[in-house]
Amino acid sequence: MNIVEICDFCFAYPDSSKRVLDHTKLKIKEGTLNIICGRSGCGKSTLLRHLKSALAPYGKTQGEILYKGKSLAETDHRTQSQEIGFVMQDPDNQIVTDKVWHELAFGLESLGYDSETIRLRVAEMASYFGIHQWFYKNVSELSGGQKQLLNLAAVMAMHPSLLILDEPTSQLDPIAASDFLETVKKINRDIGTTVILTEHRLQEILPYADQVYVMADGRIQMQGTPGEVGAGLHDADKGMFLSMPVPVQIFSAVEGTGECPLTVSQGRKWLGEYVKDHPQIPTDIKKTKAASGLTEPAIQAKDLWFRYEKDSQDVVRDLSLQINKGEFYALVGGNGTGKSTTLSLLSRVNQPYRGRIRLYGRDLRSYKDKELYFGCLGVLPQNPQSIFLKKTVLEDLYSVIGGKKERMSLEYQSQMKKEKAIEGMVSLTKLEGLLERHPYDLSGGEQQRLALAKVLLLRPKILLMDEPTKGMDGEYKEELGKILKKLQSHGMTIFMISHDIEFVAEYADRVGLFFEGNIVTENDVNSFFAGNNFYTTAANRMARQYFPYAITGKDVVACLQNGN
Amino acid sequence: MKKTERKAETFEASDTFSRCHPMLNFFYFAVVLIFTMFSQHPLILAVSYAGAVSYGILLNGAGKTLRQSCFFTLPALLIVALLNPMFNHYGVTMLYYIESSGNWVTLEALIYGVVLGTVMFVVIQWFSCYNQVMTSDKFVYLFGRIIPALSLVLSMALRFVPEFLHQLKVIRNGQKGMGRDVSEGNLFRRIRYGLNILSILITWALENAIETSDSMKSRGYGLPERTAFSIYRFTNRDKILGTVMAFLSMIFTVGIAKGAAYASYNPRILLAGFTIQGRTSPVSAGSLLTAATYLCYGLFCFLPVILELTEQIHLKNSRKHAGADIGMTYRRIYEELEQEG
Repeated sequence: MNIVEICDFCFAYPDSSKRVLDHTKLKIKEGTLNIICGRSGCGKSTLLRHLKSALAPYGKTQGEILYKGKSLAETDHRTQSQEIGFVMQDPDNQIVTDKVWHELAFGLESLGYDSETIRLRVAEMASYFGIHQWFYKNVSELSGGQKQLLNLAAVMAMHPSLLILDEPTSQLDPIAASDFLETVKKINRDIGTTVILTEHRLQEILPYADQVYVMADGRIQMQGTPGEVGAGLHDADKGMFLSMPVPVQIFSAVEGTGECPLTVSQGRKWLGEYVKDHPQIPTDIKKTKAASGLTEPAIQAKDLWFRYEKDSQDVVRDLSLQINKGEFYALVGGNGTGKSTTLSLLSRVNQPYRGRIRLYGRDLRSYKDKELYFGCLGVLPQNPQSIFLKKTVLEDLYSVIGGKKERMSLEYQSQMKKEKAIEGMVSLTKLEGLLERHPYDLSGGEQQRLALAKVLLLRPKILLMDEPTKGMDGEYKEELGKILKKLQSHGMTIFMISHDIEFVAEYADRVGLFFEGNIVTENDVNSFFAGNNFYTTAANRMARQYFPYAITGKDVVACLQNGN
Repeated sequence: MKKTERKAETFEASDTFSRCHPMLNFFYFAVVLIFTMFSQHPLILAVSYAGAVSYGILLNGAGKTLRQSCFFTLPALLIVALLNPMFNHYGVTMLYYIESSGNWVTLEALIYGVVLGTVMFVVIQWFSCYNQVMTSDKFVYLFGRIIPALSLVLSMALRFVPEFLHQLKVIRNGQKGMGRDVSEGNLFRRIRYGLNILSILITWALENAIETSDSMKSRGYGLPERTAFSIYRFTNRDKILGTVMAFLSMIFTVGIAKGAAYASYNPRILLAGFTIQGRTSPVSAGSLLTAATYLCYGLFCFLPVILELTEQIHLKNSRKHAGADIGMTYRRIYEELEQEG
């Protein structure tokens, strides 16, 4: 039976002739796990929101959505609240109350259940999701992963028959994300709840999907089982391709035959056969990227120690670090190990209580704020929204350099006309066409680029970034990577902390592994990932038997194509 | 991380009375505070003080409680005690003549000042216990019983404030990283940077609030007949304890109403049960009722401490028994095995 049927549904925002959804047709079978993928802005979030009347955006609609054979518009608020669960992107904003237990009960209170029933449901949910250890806590004490799990549990407490998840893991670190997706799989398998999911991180969940839908320009472009969609990707658009799991990417790039590998282990098997069939492929390939050979230090940190409060634990312990001029250095490592704190030390937002940081050979403390932040250090915060100030993108850009008036100021000490400077920055960060929009209306990747543009307008020589790829899809990541590479080629020194090892492998020169307030190991990117067994990219895990130094999908593809 | 662990621990380590139903907690503090505030009989105050201090020691530890009493409340007591005779001059026992104002300092006014100071002192002591026992969620629960909508608003506010502060910090750090910290530059610049931070904060919070409201709507907020759930249950023990508390408070209310704790300081000091300057109080409740009143009030004030101590003894005993029982069983099993073997 089909739980949801979307028949020729069209939608356009008011005052806009462009249809965000254009004759979308979709049938979702009961009890299945469905993934909708597509590049940012293809209309997948809009589509999901239309599956719940309370969340549907306002605009012109045409066509019909059926829920359990009945028009959704005729299904009342109570039924929809109870039976259609919706989990959104941001773990923080969805939480309403201050206590974990109250959050779990919130939906049931709305539905008017009595205390006994709520007690049972809440207990059931807490036990199923492993929440009982932090049941009495304040929600502000939870980690991002726990918050999102709580959001899921709070929705599941109402026993919905349809669960909709709109990029639920985009704000989580990889481990929390894979835990979360594991739970979603478990719900689908154990309880039979129908799941509709959109996701950037397809690697984890794609192999378990029953149906995959590829959306483009408001239409369903392709649909089928994961294998079918993977194999049919040759002619799909590029943005989609980059979001696919690495084995699928490699398979498509070399136009492999047979069944499309979805997981790393399937990929390894497929690769083995491929190499056997093509004996001319040389397997003794050396590093694909040479060590950069840069040795002149830009930032030198020596024996840093830091803690937030007098009687708390040290967050940074005896850290020494050198970042060379013109280098792209990435710091990777688990959550809460002190990476962000390290960045705050390097950017002088916090100061170490022991140890010394030198910037171009001079003590960091001896810099005046003016010297340091205008023209030397650029800091890109994790959440771009935390630096948006004005109503439009253009005004926001001008606000960084002291307004539109052509005069020298503290922030702007260049002879170049401001208009020219902004024009250049806009074309570098590809913000053309977005200048009149409100910064909050941009997509995640565009917001990050705007934040980057704002930081770059202050003409830094060193760029410090805190997880710049968080919440971005493959295409935006590639764009950001290209911008960073361009900056680097003009002599910019880049320091980045990241969870995204795929991005690091692709663009960074040198990588350090951060653990317990300290850098455990650092090396050039090839040797780093080739040397790690666990903490390495999916492409490397798949191909390391044959090409130990191939760390990205592109490297593997290049190795395979070498023989042809 | 460590901070959260400590918090979780304190929840576990709270005393027996705190784990009782919030309504009992609230009733207890309401009764104790009312009787402390409106009674001026030194015996009642002494009993109340002893109860408050011992409960305070149980909750906050001896060091903190005594330090607080000595350095914070005791000076305040002395100030009140000394101020009263300066401004009030009733009474019959003259002690000292102030020539500049032409007034007498009287014994009655001095004593009354001490009593008032003590009342304040004891009330503060009880409030320090109240703060430990009546946590925010109990408060939210109690008010939710009266006005259900208010409990959600309170709960949301308690969620919002820490979130807001956190965001403020993130924004400030972001601005600092762009050389726009409020601690930099001249006054004009600082004000502008401060306003910028505020503007970003408000935009961000409003933007996030849209998502929160979506999340509420999608979970059925706005449907009629909303209920208010709480994790507190009125257990059998709560019923028994509630009955005991009601019984005790009834007896001493009757006793005090009959004059068992009569106290007057103007113009003469008249205290029930005492003969001062050859005079006794005009009303008295009879010796049996007076004794019962003080006994019940004492029991009531020490109730949390008594509960905690009995529970500790019970716990110790049950542990001992558990050990003994298992030991016996195993011995028996071994013996049986030996016999069989």
